[in-house]
Amino acid sequence: MTRWWTTASIRVRLTAWYTAALALMLVVYATVTFVAVRHEFREQLEEDSRAAHAHLTPEELVQRQLSEILVVLVLGLPVIVMLAGAGGYVLARRALAPIEHLAGDARRITADRLHERLTVPNPHDEIGRLAAVINGTFARLESSFEQLRRFTADASHELRTPLSVIRGIGELGVAGTRSPSEYKEAIGSMLEEVDRLTRLVDTLLRLSRGDAGSVRLAPELVDLGGLAGDVVASLGLLAEERRQRLEISAPSAVAVRADRLVLREAITNLVDNAIKYGPAGSTIGIRVEQDARTAAIAVTDQGPGIPSEHRSRIFDRFYRVDEGRSRETGGAGLGLAIAKWAVEVNGGHVTYENGDAGSTFRVSLPRS
Amino acid sequence: MRVLIVEDERKLAQVLSAALESEHYDVVAAATGEDGFYRANAELFDLVVLDLMLPGRGGLEILQTLRERRIETPVLILTARDGVDDRVRGLDLGADDYLVKPFALPELLARIRALLRRGRPSDVLRLKVSDLEVNLVGRRVLRGDRSIDLTTREFELLEYLLRHQGHLVSREMLARDVWREPRRATPLDNVIDVQMARLRRKIDPEGAPRLIHTVRGVGFTMREGEP
Repeated sequence: MTRWWTTASIRVRLTAWYTAALALMLVVYATVTFVAVRHEFREQLEEDSRAAHAHLTPEELVQRQLSEILVVLVLGLPVIVMLAGAGGYVLARRALAPIEHLAGDARRITADRLHERLTVPNPHDEIGRLAAVINGTFARLESSFEQLRRFTADASHELRTPLSVIRGIGELGVAGTRSPSEYKEAIGSMLEEVDRLTRLVDTLLRLSRGDAGSVRLAPELVDLGGLAGDVVASLGLLAEERRQRLEISAPSAVAVRADRLVLREAITNLVDNAIKYGPAGSTIGIRVEQDARTAAIAVTDQGPGIPSEHRSRIFDRFYRVDEGRSRETGGAGLGLAIAKWAVEVNGGHVTYENGDAGSTFRVSLPRS
Repeated sequence: MRVLIVEDERKLAQVLSAALESEHYDVVAAATGEDGFYRANAELFDLVVLDLMLPGRGGLEILQTLRERRIETPVLILTARDGVDDRVRGLDLGADDYLVKPFALPELLARIRALLRRGRPSDVLRLKVSDLEVNLVGRRVLRGDRSIDLTTREFELLEYLLRHQGHLVSREMLARDVWREPRRATPLDNVIDVQMARLRRKIDPEGAPRLIHTVRGVGFTMREGEP
């Protein structure tokens, strides 16, 4: 059970304080005035009796008393103003103290200590809400720093592995004398690593250009059904090898405005994944959908789906659901990252849904 | 055939020279822009391989000056920058082809062959290696006296291998020239491998001498006997 004044906003509390302070000062001022006036009246009564002898008219008496009251009022006013100023200062300091406190907290949180948060004494008042907003920003900052750190670590791992393989094979080859066919084998395997490295660098460059926003697109009207057909035609062979069926369902012509090649790459990666992870002999559905505002391509496989703990990160660069699925079979873990980038650069987004019958990746784009 | 290589990176220049010499070209290498320009201007070459990033006189400048002087030797430019602008500028200034570093040697060799072949009739209608015969007009394929049925893609793949017979064909070349994809990607690599395996099953049945060979780390080649 919280007391009402702790839950009330600072505005309410400040209002209450100022009202109280003002009331207090008014009471003091009124009291002083009252006392002064009373004193004057008493004096007047005494003087009335003396006035009979002093020949002062009642009018002159009132005049004199009024001027004395005026003196009291004039002298009292600065005192009250000073009191009010002092009171205001104290009140303002009190009201601003939490902000001062907050600033001190915020200064403490640096890039290395992003996990720390501002203390929120009262989450319901203005300062509390401000602190919550700042804490939210810190949380986002922390997560993007974390993402960056992870990306750098993963990238250096992915880049260094082929390098050390090349180096190892080269050093082994130089160390002893081998038959020409062994040398050929060794050089061939070095070349494979070079190829892997080349493609990795290529992909990373594209992604970083995407991040920098320096990718020039050539938007055109793209029919999603046609695009799906195109992708199926090019990857059909892979599905055939695994006795999988690729089923397109496109109700009618659904067009979006996008860079065809970039968008096609996204769909290609999604369908390629579905072929890779869907069991042999299963069916892969590629559905073109639309509603009033968006058009979508949904790629559904009958694979095992993605465990819930991985779902939030599958679009991260270098993220692999199965760490054991090595470079040999799984690639570098950039396929979905590229797909996400390729869709977002065209103004859409990719979502993942885990249904009973496997995974669905849905690419949604604004309808043109 | 005389080829001038203008490349400042010493190791790369050596590799290029060695590769071209092994294909029996007469190779001259220039390590600076000035030297390259001087030679291209003074001597006769059938082809110039020109790096764009050179100390001193840059590749684009050399190219421009050569073309201004009406020296029409085919020029293949090499660049580390894969921005469209660089390529367009190079081609606009009169380059005949370009390659982005790092490139595969088989691809460079194929492009050089193509540039040197230019202007000569290449409309051979019958391609042949060992006992494999392909009739491009009728789209008929014979291995010995056995007729082979191929899908369209398989036929294109076979034709490409035959046109480059004896030479290496990389996956990049296949992706671009047979599949006509602007970019080689992992899914496409898998498609190429599957397609190649199928073609091979039809062309090289058990027992017959193999004609299609895989060269590890590079690609494929079609020839009689081991590569």
